Amino acid sequence: MKEHMPPSQEDEGSPAEPKCKRRRSSESCSWDILPVLSEEESQRITLLQAYAAPVLSKKETSRLVREVSAVHSLKSLQHLKRVRACKDRGSPHPLEMLLCLALAKEKGHVPSLSELLPEGQVNSCGLGQPFLVLVPSCPPLTRPQFQEASAHWPTSFHENKEVTKALTGQQFSREEKARMQRYMEQAIEVAQQGAERGNEAVGAVFVDPATEEVLAMGHDCRKSNNPLLHATMVCIDLVAHRQGGGAYNFDSYPSCSFVASVKGNSGTGAADLFDDAGSSVLPYICTGYDLYITREPCIMCAMALVHSRIQRVFYGTPSPDGALGTRYKIHTQKDLNHHFQVFRGILEEQCQQLREKWH
Amino acid sequence: MGGGEEAAKRQRWMEEAFRMAKEALGNGEVPVGCLMVYNNTVLGQGRNEVNETKNATRHAEMVAVDQVLAWCRQNCKNPVEVFEQTVLYVTVEPCIMCAGALRLLKIPLVVYGCQNERFGGCGSVLNIAADDLLGTGTSFECIAGYRAEEAVEMLKTFYKQENPNAPKSKARKKDSDES
Ligand SMILES: [Zn+2]
Ligand SMILES: [Zn+2]
Repeated sequence: MKEHMPPSQEDEGSPAEPKCKRRRSSESCSWDILPVLSEEESQRITLLQAYAAPVLSKKETSRLVREVSAVHSLKSLQHLKRVRACKDRGSPHPLEMLLCLALAKEKGHVPSLSELLPEGQVNSCGLGQPFLVLVPSCPPLTRPQFQEASAHWPTSFHENKEVTKALTGQQFSREEKARMQRYMEQAIEVAQQGAERGNEAVGAVFVDPATEEVLAMGHDCRKSNNPLLHATMVCIDLVAHRQGGGAYNFDSYPSCSFVASVKGNSGTGAADLFDDAGSSVLPYICTGYDLYITREPCIMCAMALVHSRIQRVFYGTPSPDGALGTRYKIHTQKDLNHHFQVFRGILEEQCQQLREKWH
Repeated sequence: MGGGEEAAKRQRWMEEAFRMAKEALGNGEVPVGCLMVYNNTVLGQGRNEVNETKNATRHAEMVAVDQVLAWCRQNCKNPVEVFEQTVLYVTVEPCIMCAGALRLLKIPLVVYGCQNERFGGCGSVLNIAADDLLGTGTSFECIAGYRAEEAVEMLKTFYKQENPNAPKSKARKKDSDES
């Protein structure tokens, strides 16, 4: 896991922390919800070598920017600002300007202005001696990346407010978190019921967040002599049953259940979402739904969720071969036609205990 | 052992898988056909059942797996031992999900036709077949490329005809760069 940890939510003992103010129960504060971001979002920024030069005469700045940009457009580095203010007050020059990327790794030798800027095209009057700087190679996607990038050279930042909120633990309200906890408690309970009958202790619950309704819940059913009936596969099939379909029979496992669809076979909200032009899109029945599962799904289950067009997955504890963060990030996988959000950490401790108790 | 004999057998099973894929295409289904062969016997064969079951995971391979499991029950065989000696013949590279399932079942060998550019789990998008995943069954071997062009043509024909179950824009867009 390489997610950025929320900076302030970790220290619960801190008296300045308002998070636990209203509820005295330590339970409601004993877990944190973490977004499982894509590789691009969670990695540290990478740096490139470039040449910059001090702007000795401030009033030449706009002309210099125009002329230098015409020669070195820095097209692949649109996120970099061309000019930075020198914060160092002792500095004799107020501004510094990015000229161009350094081609090879230069050691010591820095080309002169006339080598970097063709005389006929740039009048380098007003610029000082070039020097080597490190600049971020890609636009920052998250606030932590932005902070890291800006420390090297100023960059523009199109902030994704949702990601920032998620990273600082502010994406979900207290009420939402209480609801999440209840769904995960149900998943844990159904996992225990499955484990009592010899299955792996994994439980899952499908929720329609629009109605807050639990649609289906199920546990691992491998003991029924089908090594592929992981909790996610069971739950996907239970949602199919709800729609009048389904491939498996769970009669011998009463805890694997679904709430019958009120509107009958085809009229659920999720199916309607895609129902333009009157065509049926029933196989994608998980569109718009959330899955709560006690532990991170494996590769088969994660891809089954892609095929089922899940909206969000919340899991308690990571798995060694997990495909939603640990070994793969199927939910952000490039080339796949459906992406979704993943969060981990809900009742993590209880979900971890579940695994230890029944192992 | 006789490599030639083995290859001829392989060819026969693949022809049967192609026959099934064509049949599926004729019925407006995703043209993927597959066989699971154990001891020179077909224990399972499948075609996509996503529409009938309203379950998007009912790919041909998953359907065939259930048939093998049913056969094991009827014949009092241990599915673990059966799958460990079963070969899958399929017209299109298994998707990431199915590749995961094949690992979990410890199927040793998959013979397939064309690549699955959208979802392939044996190299096209990810290589679940070969990756190092200690907790997810065993890796498996692939023999690829049998009548690949024909398999691709069938898929193209399918995606060109009206497919009410594909989210429209995406299916089309991807299709055009699949040439
Ligand atoms: Zn799984
Ligand atoms: Zn598949």
